[in-house]
Amino acid sequence: MGPGSVMADVIFAGLLLVSLLVTAQASHTLYLTLYTWDRPPDEARAPDHFLAPRLSFTVMLPARHEEQVIRATIARLARVNYPAHLIQVLVICSADDQDTIGKAEEEIKRLRRRGRANVQIVVFSDGPVNKPHGLNAALPHSRHDVITIFDAEDDMHPDIFNVVNTVMEEEKVKVVQAGVQLMNFDSSWYSALNVLEYFFWFKSRLHYHAKLGAIPLGGNTVFFERALVARLGGWDEQNLTEDADIGLRVSAAGERIRVVYDDRYVTKEETPPTLAQFIRQRTRWSQGFLQTLRKGVWRELPTAKQRRLAFYTLAFPQAQALLGIYFIFSLTTMLTFKTPVLVALISFLPVLLLLAHLLVSVIGLHEFAGAHGLKPPLRTVLLLAVAWIPYQLVLSYAALRAVRRQSRGIINWEKTQHVGAHRSESGDRALGLDEARENVA
Amino acid sequence: MSHRTAPGARVTGLAPRGSAPVTRRASVASSAHDWYAARGKLGTIALAFAILSGLVTHSYHLFDYPLWETDEGIYMERAWAVIREGRLSPQTYVFDHAPAGWLMIAAWVMLLPGQFETFGNPVNAGRVLMVILHAASTYFLFEIARKLSRGLLAPTIACFFFNFSWLAVYYQRMVLLDNIMVFWVLLSIYLLLREDVLLFTGLWSGLAFGISVVTKENAIFFAPTIFYLLTRRAKQDESRHFTIFFWLFSAAAPIVAYFLYATLNNELLPTDLSFNLNAGQKGHVSLLYEMWYQIHRDQGTLFNPRSQDPYLYTAWLPKDPFLLIGGTAAMVICIWIGWHVRKKDPALLVAGTLAFEIAFYLARGSVILDFYVIPLIPMYALCIAFVADRALRSIPAPASRFFVPAICGCAALFLLVPPGGYLIKHGQGVNGQPGPLQAADPYHVPLTYLQAEQIAWIRQHIPPNAKIISDDDIWVALHDVAPYYRYDESHWNAASDPQVKKMYGNGNWQDVNYIVLSNGMKHAMILNNTNGQENWMLTALSNSVEVWHASKGSASGQVSVSIWKVQP
Repeated sequence: MGPGSVMADVIFAGLLLVSLLVTAQASHTLYLTLYTWDRPPDEARAPDHFLAPRLSFTVMLPARHEEQVIRATIARLARVNYPAHLIQVLVICSADDQDTIGKAEEEIKRLRRRGRANVQIVVFSDGPVNKPHGLNAALPHSRHDVITIFDAEDDMHPDIFNVVNTVMEEEKVKVVQAGVQLMNFDSSWYSALNVLEYFFWFKSRLHYHAKLGAIPLGGNTVFFERALVARLGGWDEQNLTEDADIGLRVSAAGERIRVVYDDRYVTKEETPPTLAQFIRQRTRWSQGFLQTLRKGVWRELPTAKQRRLAFYTLAFPQAQALLGIYFIFSLTTMLTFKTPVLVALISFLPVLLLLAHLLVSVIGLHEFAGAHGLKPPLRTVLLLAVAWIPYQLVLSYAALRAVRRQSRGIINWEKTQHVGAHRSESGDRALGLDEARENVA
Repeated sequence: MSHRTAPGARVTGLAPRGSAPVTRRASVASSAHDWYAARGKLGTIALAFAILSGLVTHSYHLFDYPLWETDEGIYMERAWAVIREGRLSPQTYVFDHAPAGWLMIAAWVMLLPGQFETFGNPVNAGRVLMVILHAASTYFLFEIARKLSRGLLAPTIACFFFNFSWLAVYYQRMVLLDNIMVFWVLLSIYLLLREDVLLFTGLWSGLAFGISVVTKENAIFFAPTIFYLLTRRAKQDESRHFTIFFWLFSAAAPIVAYFLYATLNNELLPTDLSFNLNAGQKGHVSLLYEMWYQIHRDQGTLFNPRSQDPYLYTAWLPKDPFLLIGGTAAMVICIWIGWHVRKKDPALLVAGTLAFEIAFYLARGSVILDFYVIPLIPMYALCIAFVADRALRSIPAPASRFFVPAICGCAALFLLVPPGGYLIKHGQGVNGQPGPLQAADPYHVPLTYLQAEQIAWIRQHIPPNAKIISDDDIWVALHDVAPYYRYDESHWNAASDPQVKKMYGNGNWQDVNYIVLSNGMKHAMILNNTNGQENWMLTALSNSVEVWHASKGSASGQVSVSIWKVQP
């Protein structure tokens, strides 16, 4: 046996090992992706009947350079099916964002003319200028039982407060994460895949996290008992994914988190309008997960199973970066190496899983569209198939970019632009929001 | 506290407070057929009896009867190649069958402390696995029948035939791919009938079905019914699209892997893309060529008593006419009634079409070997059970309390003792008269000792470097225990595999030292000689002298094995 042969054996062994690891990881991800469909928890759906409103809500609406969408969002909040005296809306802006402040003030004036006086603006002028700092700045101004966060472009369902009021009252939980759903699946080559990520994350995977008690929460449509947030000391202003961080802190505190995903009540959002915006958003998330991982809150989770899940989730973007590198390596190997048949067969397993993920996405698109009365054209399905690999590579690139930023100490907040692509005129008109929309135009 | 109904709430989904929560799964339970009948204490006793009786009938006298057959030897030698040589066959693997069956045997043998020799002859190790698989298959069959019929009568009757029919006991003991395939098919169906068809249950069911196909390809004939059952079970379920996808995907995965294996070996397509069956395979073996060849093999109809091997008349009906005739009639009834009541109750249609699919495979007029009847046995047992169950349920209470056990008891007695003879039969008397009662052949006739003596004689009298033509039944015994007989090959391989033929001077009869004849081997050599490929071995045989011989009479006729020394 020559040195060349030993080297080949080492490469084959490495190939086998990586293939098996990737297969195991992909299988696990597939399991989490479809967790709810396999064992739908009875509590996954929203209640079919609501209790009388009792809890009061402070809505935090952080907005930065959101002049295009902020008025419609405030107007939508003012029209929810919940008593106005039980709702307080705090629009949170930094002092330098006069455009957004101006638009918000216009809408507040319009609402006051109509007898609604429960919307205020909280302006902060200190740094850092980011979402968690804005939330912390607004926290002392909140006066209701429950704090909730919506993003400036969100289309929340008019009954969302009834849903949460019922769930919190009936189940005596202090934190509820309700569903968030990107809607504009047909806007760009990556939007369908982005939409499906949200679909599977909120509809399925979060339920698994909630069951195990290690849950990185979403950034909006999340409801906290105010006292709990105060006890936790608010949000981490240095963390780019303050939502994931506070979710793990809540879990570490032993609080049960209830996830409600019901297609009827999801908060609708839009995908980032450009690829560059999308990469920035993903970089921020990956970097935020990396920060949370390094911060080590996950180590405070009570059980090893919880800690493993939290570690796996937070480290996943880094694994994704490695997978992108491995993809290029495996492609090179495939074209240049003659491997033994058994090695080649085992190396095929990740490809099989990749195909399974792709087909699951196609069915997921069908499910998503069916749930929202949409009909994706065949073109979208084909595009989804073609875009699958490039999309994974973009995610890998964003993860690598996050590592690079973190290693250089760059932690500024790269904001995602919102244009309201998920909103339709007819939808707004149906909710009586046409005036706010016209003013936006 | 007031309540307001949420917009869009399904009224049917509302449950009064304090009552059991209504979940989406409940909607499946509320479909016309209730899949959730509890087994109960009596059911557990019946199931335990079914498994126990299956273990007894299939394991008693297991190593002695029937003879170690050629095909049993083939699969054991391929399992041997997997373990000892890391390949799928000790000879050239020609894609005659997909390898999942002997991979499973190899895995089993690896677990045994003495591997192939744990139970004496290597074939016995495989037979023990068959008994274990039979016990598992009995469990699956019982549960399938119970859930489809929502009672205990049908599973008890189905398992009775599955465990006691002489046809079943004879073939289900053998180390055959068909037995392994039946295990996977029944597992696939059983998984679909579990209380709650969950997403990943669909995945496992599909995987089981995919493995059944790469164990024995004719499992594919069951696909329409199993898929129908899947869609029936998933109907009304919110995850039905994923469930069906997973079933299809996981069923396809092992099959794709098999094709990929051939592709990676550059053995998917034939040399020069030649599918000319008259010219044979040139250059290298090919999966697609082999499939093409198998599809075009024709041996005449099963029902023609003058066909080459009329197993229906020579092997199947003599063993159990009751199961075959009763099963055929029951299959027709199941399909007829089942079609009309399918929306309310799919059980009869499922059983009837499962039986029909494999009956069609057997009757369509291709090459049939005697043990191909194996998958028909559980399906016919199901059909008989469902028809009997339906008929007996029509007896009104309270008369049914007496008549149902009485009829079942009489029928069982009729089948177990003469004229049925499943357990006890008449021995051979004089002048054509029935002899005294005795246990049925599987439980008392010793046959394999003939082969054991044959192997012992070889080891005592033939040097290990001798070039031997034999049959596959003793191949592993001669290759796995020292001294190894490396120059022993079966006449099948010597006739068809150029690599093996090379060992005998490219088919020079004078290069053969001994011919070890298994029971019926000479007849098989003549039948396999359509293109003259066995001529050189037949010449060697005609230039040989018999040096050892043993025989025994049995109900199937005279069993004879011998050893011949070639005189060059």
